[in-house]
Amino acid sequence: MLFPTLSFGLFFLLVFCIVWAASGSNEWRKILLLLASWVFYGAWDWRFVALLIASALLNWSAAAMIWLERDGRAGRRKAIMIMGVFGNLVILGFFKYYGFFVEQLGDLLRDVGFARDLPLIQVVLPVGISFFTFQGMSYLADVHAGRLVPARLLDVTLLMSFFPHLVAGPIVRGSDLLPQFQQSPRLTRDMASIGLVLILWGLFKKAVVASELSTGLVDPVFFDPAAHSRLDLVAAAYGYAVQIYCDFSAYSDMAIGIAALLGYRFPLNFNQPYRAASLQDFWRRWHISLSSWLRDYLYISALGGNRQGFARQCVNLLATMLLGGLWHGAKWTFVIWGGLHGGVLAVERIWDRIRPDWMPRLPRILGILITFHIVLVGWLFFRAETFDAAIAYLKGIGTAGAASAVLTPLACVLILFGLAIHFTPVDLGQRLALRLRLLPAWALGLLVGVTVLIVDTMRFEGVAPFIYYQF
Amino acid sequence: MRHHMSSPIDLLEPPLEEAGLGWSCGVILIASLFLLCANGVSLRDWIDDQPPGPIQARAAELADQWVDFTEAMGIGLPRKALHAQWKHAEQARFPGQADGEGAEASPE
Repeated sequence: MLFPTLSFGLFFLLVFCIVWAASGSNEWRKILLLLASWVFYGAWDWRFVALLIASALLNWSAAAMIWLERDGRAGRRKAIMIMGVFGNLVILGFFKYYGFFVEQLGDLLRDVGFARDLPLIQVVLPVGISFFTFQGMSYLADVHAGRLVPARLLDVTLLMSFFPHLVAGPIVRGSDLLPQFQQSPRLTRDMASIGLVLILWGLFKKAVVASELSTGLVDPVFFDPAAHSRLDLVAAAYGYAVQIYCDFSAYSDMAIGIAALLGYRFPLNFNQPYRAASLQDFWRRWHISLSSWLRDYLYISALGGNRQGFARQCVNLLATMLLGGLWHGAKWTFVIWGGLHGGVLAVERIWDRIRPDWMPRLPRILGILITFHIVLVGWLFFRAETFDAAIAYLKGIGTAGAASAVLTPLACVLILFGLAIHFTPVDLGQRLALRLRLLPAWALGLLVGVTVLIVDTMRFEGVAPFIYYQF
Repeated sequence: MRHHMSSPIDLLEPPLEEAGLGWSCGVILIASLFLLCANGVSLRDWIDDQPPGPIQARAAELADQWVDFTEAMGIGLPRKALHAQWKHAEQARFPGQADGEGAEASPE
């Protein structure tokens, strides 16, 4: 059930009515939200609802055991936390990386002359598994560190299953959402108006910009780069940068908006990432809930951050980004993408340290251009099926002819639009919501209806799944 | 580790005091009714995509009648006109480029 479909629209209308009708009892409200979340997840595959419940049980019980040991030995508490995190990693590892690692092991054994028939099985990847396992691990780490008191089973299960963020984030931490579950929320005009703005904006970015660029330009060019001209390859590279932003940020915007209409507050996940003037700045703007998760739980807590010297800090940065790349999927291209980001982040730190005082910093506009093009090269590896395909694409840009076959005026406008929205005022949506909240319901209702109608006339027939569903 | 959650939900001015649930329900109701009238085609297409059965067949029949009615009344015309404009924009090509007309026909 994809957000920008009528199926989801009708599902949400039903959930909205039932949940607010049951708001007299916060417990019933949460139970209904949980059931709705399971229906939403079960629409992909009912079997994985059991996995979701098992994962919640694992994290709830491990957190409860950590709490029971709060006056006991620190080593025991840590051991329980590590076992809980390991349990999450086993779930993630089996479903997401089993096939990849067995394949690599098979190649390795063959290369050293010990070729064996390994138990290669086709494992179906549950949608959103990377998101809910990361959520579970951060919950355990927060309880272990005393930042969070263990929650009840219902709350932990809802935290991990709550349908707006379930399949593609944002990664909402227990410390952000569990306190909100303590009391029945109240829907204000402010929340409703900004929620609607975010939903409509997300709908436009996904259904119009991302879908049009994907089907008309990016997919055909990436499918067979050798058959396309240099201009098409360059345009598709820019097109993919806009597509992935409009696709993923659209999901986040819609998730935040949907949660707001249900009375909950989700974190910011994107903040105009292509106006970043350095890669460090980029990661403060792109998929913020993942980058802050990696920073807090992996880079600082697990690897030690910058506490063990500068050289170790650079290695930690690289390791964090390599694992961040692998988080996206079991493919070498993701590891290379993470390695590129980690390497450039480390180079930025080194340059900050060795830059002579007399040397001026780069003008901001130059920093933005350089950062954007590093990110762009990274996206080529991210999008390509294999490393060789990415290299062939890059070589094609240098060698292929200049006549374009697939670049249309509309694609050009959409690419420019997707880049231009990074340079609008940061709080444009909020300013709009402040105006909309003053309108009478009938006027805003008509405005919403007209906007959906316009988007629906522009959308490509059918809706492709969000790119981040596969992660 | 200090973590502060900023959210786009937070507006820059103090919240309005009046409750928003009734207002929000009104907004959603009006928007839904408007779309039911002006965008009946989407509902019909969605029903057509559902697994076949007696209920689906009956719903499809009703949806067809509804779309015919809205078109006869002229309510569905803005959607049709906007969609035609968009298709025209999709098929536009740069001078000298292969013509996009007919490359992808609109289903409507």
